[in-house]
Amino acid sequence: MIRPRWQKVFADLIGNKTRSLLVILSIAVGLFAIGILETNHEIITADMLTGYHNTNPANITMQTSGISDDLLDTVRGMDGVDQAEHLRSFSLRAHTGTSQWLQMDLMAIPDYDDFEINTVSLMEGRFPPKRGEVVLEQSKMDDLNVALGDTLEVELPSGRSRELLVVGVVQVQTLGAVSGGGGFFVANPLGYVNPDDLGWLEQPNTNNRLVITVLGDNEDEIYIQTVAQEIRDDLKADGVTVNSAVIRKRSSHPTAVYVDAISQVLFALGALVVLLSSFLITNTLNALLTQQTQQIGILKLVGGRRWQVALIYLVLILVYGLVALAISIPLSARAAYVLLEYLAGQINVELQGYRVVPAAVYLQIAIAVIVPQLAGLVPVLQGTRIRVQQAFSGIREEDSLQQHGWLEQKLARLRGLPRPLLISLRNTFRRKGRLVLTLITLTLGGAIFIATINTRSSVDAYLTQLSHYFLADVNLSLEDPERIARVTKELSAVPGISLVEGWAGATGEIITASGAVADSAQVIGPPVDTQLMTPTLLEGRWLLPEDARAIVVNERFRDSLPGLQIGDSVTLRINGKETDWVVVGFLKMAGRSLDSMAYTSYDQLAHLTGSVRQARLFRIAADQPNRTLEEQSELARQVELAMRDAGYTVTEARAGLMVLDKTDDGLNVMTSFLLILSGLAAVVGSIGLAGTLSINVLERMREIGVMRAVGASNRDVIRMVLVEGLIIGLLSWLLSLVVAVPISKLLSDLISMAIFSTTSIFVYTLNGPLLWLGVVIVLSVISSLAPAISAARLTIREVLAYE
Amino acid sequence: MTISRHRNPPEAPPTPAGAPVIIDLREVKKAYHSPAGDFWALKGISAQVHTGEFLGIVGRSGAGKSTLLNMISGVDSLTSGEVLVDGISIHAMDENQAALWRGRNLGVIYQSFQLMPMLSLLQNVLLPMDMSGMWRNGRSVTRARQLLDEVGLSDHIHKLPSAISGGQQQRVAIARALANDPPILLADEPTGRLDSGTADSIMKIFEQLVAGGKTIVMVTHDQSLASRMSRVLWLADGSLVQTRTEAMA
Repeated sequence: MIRPRWQKVFADLIGNKTRSLLVILSIAVGLFAIGILETNHEIITADMLTGYHNTNPANITMQTSGISDDLLDTVRGMDGVDQAEHLRSFSLRAHTGTSQWLQMDLMAIPDYDDFEINTVSLMEGRFPPKRGEVVLEQSKMDDLNVALGDTLEVELPSGRSRELLVVGVVQVQTLGAVSGGGGFFVANPLGYVNPDDLGWLEQPNTNNRLVITVLGDNEDEIYIQTVAQEIRDDLKADGVTVNSAVIRKRSSHPTAVYVDAISQVLFALGALVVLLSSFLITNTLNALLTQQTQQIGILKLVGGRRWQVALIYLVLILVYGLVALAISIPLSARAAYVLLEYLAGQINVELQGYRVVPAAVYLQIAIAVIVPQLAGLVPVLQGTRIRVQQAFSGIREEDSLQQHGWLEQKLARLRGLPRPLLISLRNTFRRKGRLVLTLITLTLGGAIFIATINTRSSVDAYLTQLSHYFLADVNLSLEDPERIARVTKELSAVPGISLVEGWAGATGEIITASGAVADSAQVIGPPVDTQLMTPTLLEGRWLLPEDARAIVVNERFRDSLPGLQIGDSVTLRINGKETDWVVVGFLKMAGRSLDSMAYTSYDQLAHLTGSVRQARLFRIAADQPNRTLEEQSELARQVELAMRDAGYTVTEARAGLMVLDKTDDGLNVMTSFLLILSGLAAVVGSIGLAGTLSINVLERMREIGVMRAVGASNRDVIRMVLVEGLIIGLLSWLLSLVVAVPISKLLSDLISMAIFSTTSIFVYTLNGPLLWLGVVIVLSVISSLAPAISAARLTIREVLAYE
Repeated sequence: MTISRHRNPPEAPPTPAGAPVIIDLREVKKAYHSPAGDFWALKGISAQVHTGEFLGIVGRSGAGKSTLLNMISGVDSLTSGEVLVDGISIHAMDENQAALWRGRNLGVIYQSFQLMPMLSLLQNVLLPMDMSGMWRNGRSVTRARQLLDEVGLSDHIHKLPSAISGGQQQRVAIARALANDPPILLADEPTGRLDSGTADSIMKIFEQLVAGGKTIVMVTHDQSLASRMSRVLWLADGSLVQTRTEAMA
């Protein structure tokens, strides 16, 4: 026969289902959150690496004037080269709907069967494409507005168009690998075509892109740089121009920056949730022990020693933990996967299949076993300290010695408030220990919720800051440099345009002191007095008309030359020519999520590229500010028509917000993910709130009975309990407003450091507090009302005898 | 048996011939502290209880009867004085030692039964054996069944306390008190919540137990029950005022 003490554990577990459910939920929500966070962290990090490795990503990608088969064989035989392939890479405009055209990248691989670098995964249809066909990369297909089986219309350099049949959809994890950290998000849609179609698509039959994997340490950027430099020198000797060379470690997935940021946030939130869960458990167990005081007295009366009694409750807590664990392990694994599938789609990671993450399970087991025991230890030790006589009489000598504190005296002197409100107020502050514990739990839940919303806003604030670099309503790119004055005159005929600026632009390379290429860089030359960009400077100053060869660079540019300071000289190779520039300012843009960028004055850059008073890039402002993306797109369409009618070859006419919209995609992953996490925090906090307040009422059943016995109506009792719940809820809300400040700062900084390599723009939005206030009010009412109504339903005798 | 009063001890009544002293109260004082000042619930009680006695402690509400019983059971602390039970100074023991000793040597019965609500009657009776290290698997169950049978509850052993009457619950409390076969039973107003018929049946059980050699100390405010006890101590305001011999005189 089971010993009575263990029978008690079992009976406690199933005898009071509401209470058990609350305790188990308190533990389970913490475990659930941890399970999700850890599973996400482990799988996304591991699968990103595995999936990316499986594609055999290029360590070096060179854009060249053309690589012959013989030259490719030479490269393959070079020291440090493992594999080398060449292909044709080009851009065309694709028709995406009524009068809408979008720039897309196309690749033609000479021998698809033997191509082993940057491999792709077929998702639908077939691969490789035959003549007249195209296989599209999945994540940007929506932008093209086509599906499998549709035809895609592309515009050729001559202005004629061709139709390609979409026969396959592939996942290309290397998409965006040739640009900065956020390259995936700003990358154009990508398609693969048959190499025999190159002539038909008006493309030269030369392979202009070289992709290489290195032998040796493919995680060492400096080593890869060295190999790249040797190849570059060799190609140069053979008369090949290398326009750009991108270096990438084997593990450097194009969205790794975002995964890093997500991982950091997951880690911080995980720690916070464990802390919240511990308080939740302590609070719940405290209430449980208070309810069980009389039974503790009985156990001690019949010979139970303190450790024996404590052991009974610790075993009960263990059972609660194990039940919570049994719920949380499968549930969190499933929920984590739903979240992962969303996330993987957003950041172009190929999941390696559903699986339970052992680390997540072990972590949940450890937390289920250890945290409730630790959290329960103080209430258990305190609860079992009581003497038999005190347990039976309900009076502790230390309680009877307590003097009324300052707060009680103030509350006692309060006048003019309705009596039930006064009683509720006094009741709230009567048991200060319990109140403090309840408040800590609820405050922490609320603060985490508010902080995640603030963090989201902080990321949004970054976008707003970034938008100051993209003030133009339309960005126009022409095939050839054209005279600025002439283009401006042509555009003056388009209604709704107030300003046209011609910008110089070039792709360059940052050269280190040793002569190696540190990184590719976009060199942009706006007029010094540009009105279509408001830079935010981290250090130094913006360009001045009197500057000679001065540049202002972004964060990634600065990272590529460690130790770079204001006043330092930097060598840039532009159009094959090396020139020295003085750094006069550091810009705050979007950190590592953008390519290396250097701004100089139009005059300087145009002079260098031999296109004085000419430009290929035009920034156009509408006469009315704050145009929407749709309005800008319409204006872009009109600009394009006008320019075509005037005989210009337009490469692209794009809405200004489109650039931001693309960058936004990357950050949107973070913000959506944060929103999901804030939902999770809200669930944890809500269950904490509901559980804590419910137990508070359950604990007061006897008191409710006494009140009813002395004439209080059910309505009085319910109102009193309700008001008390609301007071506690609102107090916790007020406190959470304050506690949310450091947590918001922590989370925002973690994300900001991971993506932007700088501390965050601290934002405290009203949305979080207002949303949480709603949650607090609704939950305070529900969680106080339900037990109060059930207490009101019981007879006075039953309530007084309530255990 | 010798009974003494703190200030003015009454004349000692006759004690059972040759019976040894099993409970010895020496100048027992108990004060409760509160912001309003100290309240002396016991003002120096000295008394002895002999083996086999059925001793009543009688007095009005607030006289200190239950406090005195709590001093004997060790469930509350002394302010001063000493309580020896079977030669052992129970207040010299720490809380854990006292609990173990109490579980093995005393059976305590309360007016409010103090049964574990989630345990069956059988498990309630088994509880002292389990908690005080007297568990003997099958034998413990046999003994618990036997005790419940003796108090007339053999048909209800698997019921919860809430499923039986108050009188029956008190019988379970008695069975539980006898679980470890202690020599002494302490009962605090055991008939206080029961009707007269049920109270009588409980008293009969006590009488049988005394006849079987148990020592019982019972607190009651019901003077009519005093006649069924071998001796009575009268308490008023925390002091012994008289024995039954004096009251009769």
